[in-house]
Amino acid sequence: MIARPALTLRGIRKSYPGVVAVDDVDLDLYPGEIHALVGENGAGKSTLSAIAFGETRADAGSVEASGTVGLVHQHFELVGRLRVWENVLLGREPRRGWRIDETAAHERVRAVAERNGLAIDPDALVEGLPIGVQQRVELLRELDREPSVLLLDEPTAALAPAEIAAFFATVQRLAQRGTAVMIVTHKLQEVIAYATRVSVMRHGTIVARMETATTSVDAIARAMVGGDLPGVAAREATQPTPCLTIEALCAGAGETRIEGLHLEVRAGEIVGIAGVEGNGQSTLADAVAGMIGYDGRIAFAHPRATLGVIPQDRQREALVMPWSIVENVVLGRQDRPGIRRGVVIDRAHALADAQRIKERFDVRTPSLDVPVRTLSGGNQQKVVVGRALIDSPDVVLAYNPTRGIDVGAAALVQSRLMEARNRGAAVLLISFELDEILALADRIAVMYRGAIVGDFERSNVDRAAIGRLMAGLSNA
Amino acid sequence: MKLRRTLAGPLGAIILLVVLMSLAMIVAGTSPLDGFAALFQGALGGTSQIGETLVATSALLFPALGIALAFRGGLFNIGAEGQLLIGALFAGAVGAQLHLPGWLGMIVLLALGALGGGLWGAIAGWMKARFNANEIIATLMLNFVAAYLSLALVNGPLRGPLATGAETAWLDQRYWLPTLLPGSRLSIGILVALAFALVLYWVFTRTVFGYKLRAAGDAPEAARRAGIDIGRITWISLALSGAIAGVGGATIVTGELHRFNTQLSPGYGFIGIAVALVGDLQPLWICLAAFGFGILEAGGLAMQASAQVPKDAIHVIEGLIILVLAARRYVAARTETAAV
Repeated sequence: MIARPALTLRGIRKSYPGVVAVDDVDLDLYPGEIHALVGENGAGKSTLSAIAFGETRADAGSVEASGTVGLVHQHFELVGRLRVWENVLLGREPRRGWRIDETAAHERVRAVAERNGLAIDPDALVEGLPIGVQQRVELLRELDREPSVLLLDEPTAALAPAEIAAFFATVQRLAQRGTAVMIVTHKLQEVIAYATRVSVMRHGTIVARMETATTSVDAIARAMVGGDLPGVAAREATQPTPCLTIEALCAGAGETRIEGLHLEVRAGEIVGIAGVEGNGQSTLADAVAGMIGYDGRIAFAHPRATLGVIPQDRQREALVMPWSIVENVVLGRQDRPGIRRGVVIDRAHALADAQRIKERFDVRTPSLDVPVRTLSGGNQQKVVVGRALIDSPDVVLAYNPTRGIDVGAAALVQSRLMEARNRGAAVLLISFELDEILALADRIAVMYRGAIVGDFERSNVDRAAIGRLMAGLSNA
Repeated sequence: MKLRRTLAGPLGAIILLVVLMSLAMIVAGTSPLDGFAALFQGALGGTSQIGETLVATSALLFPALGIALAFRGGLFNIGAEGQLLIGALFAGAVGAQLHLPGWLGMIVLLALGALGGGLWGAIAGWMKARFNANEIIATLMLNFVAAYLSLALVNGPLRGPLATGAETAWLDQRYWLPTLLPGSRLSIGILVALAFALVLYWVFTRTVFGYKLRAAGDAPEAARRAGIDIGRITWISLALSGAIAGVGGATIVTGELHRFNTQLSPGYGFIGIAVALVGDLQPLWICLAAFGFGILEAGGLAMQASAQVPKDAIHVIEGLIILVLAARRYVAARTETAAV
């Protein structure tokens, strides 16, 4: 790296009430490199990239860029009802008098797309496009400004494996043409595969800087958590017996409709549903949880079977945010014997349950009476998972159980799911993280457009084939 | 921290109230000191004054508790006025014809108040649960139905034979609630109100029903996924809310007026909204808030006489307080969602 850096951060410091988000960070980004910024939730990655982009002002330190800086957010900021070219040029439309010069606009978007090898129809309506293509639009919008530095926040979170490969091909082309690229991510395999350098953040500071050529996923992960990774509980031998049977299930409407879905989950096994978000997974989960009506059959092996649910949106669907941990531990169990005594809630029982969850799941909180709103996402999720498992349910429905939580909390949650399986629960795991499914599942079913399009035993998993099925390519 | 949060609303409201009232007095050409002296003299200056203050306290406490119950379940019941009126109508209409032992009659009349008010609340609840009708509009409109229905009835079949206005016949004296404070109009109705506050406190903090109600109000989607039947909670809570207001109406009939009169409430059901909000929807704080508003109600007349501040100015100021507190809750709810 002889070239002058495209972006130089020196002594950056930023604090919010009660926390120091970024503490004295130096970082250089060079033209032509793909730099990964990794760290657990709350390590300060987002704050640092917002400062680099100029969206947030640092309390101390300096930011120097040799050109413009572009940022692609994790959550797309597109106008669905506008066309691709309108989104790309929003606010920078070429004009002819007081009107938009549509011919020039088309030409410009086509040229930027071609230059960067991104295939796209400038006239398509954004709301009808697949996630991967929407991301191209988002990327094009930044590329049109010809940034010398491009920041990408969790760019592959919503992409299918095939789309991820295409995305990084684009990014690598950009880097070759001299753009400095920084990727904020928690997918360490992608870091090793595509980035040149990696900086690891913990508690607001950069604790390790490594060349990806000479490091490993393991080493990066250890630097992130500051020690050895907690392992996931071992898979024990079980005798799977039928437990949850889904036959000819039809439910939902529109894009996420399920049509004629068959699935069996046996006691003592984890069945993983692999798939890209928006292919009917939430409809399946809602039907199994009894939240929506459906045609077909969802049957439990015995009529008194109990179900523990880990919903996909913990803050909206699983928790009452202003309530205490103790009160939230009761939610969904308010009519169960033990918790309910006559017309009142047995508060001693609820407190004991909360205490048990706190211990078994290592919930870090000053007290069980604080509102769950004040807990970190990982600790909130531990409460949700703990509650779903505390009554030893026969069937566990887990929807992205580790989404957006840090490595340590994720390993703990995964261990508890594995233990539930080991003791004989039937676990239906729906996850957008293929790695999570590959790590936990005994059987893997691939979901695409509301149907199961492929089925794999753990013993003969074919990652590439799963990836193709997820992207809707027939098993070629 | 929690204490600060609890006090910020009510305490702020009281300070605001005092400032606004002082301004009104200065505009009317009276020193605020004289004005407030007149107010408190009129509200607490003697047995009969204290009695009147507590009569108003009791009349406000019932609808405020009912409103708080609905509000905790996420429902804005602004129909307490109509629910109170129908409760009073039931008690007045039946009370004029009743033949029962005195104590049993009193209980029956209060229960009839609960029935009438509960029915009125349940209608709105049913409309909301069945057709997803907006409960604010439904409860508001039912106020008018209640007002004109009761007016039509007491001008027609329910009109007392010797009545001079739109009212029922008087209740037999054995159904009059016993006086609590000799030398005043105050009946034991206020004890019933305080008992309701205690029961409600217990319901909110201890019972499964209270738990479901609060879950439905604080996080409807999480409540639904926890197996709580939101539609059921909706109509039950509006029915209970109306029932509490209805008992309030019945205590006015059996305790103070001893007959039903369409003018029996000067807007207790509306001022009750302010009382519930100032009391932070907590039953025990609401008792305190009701006493404060009782002072304003009872002392307002005296203030008007000696300080030349029109009593209506107090209602204007109360209206402002409702606006400020409602806006504050709305903003708090919004920031809560935004923080998520």
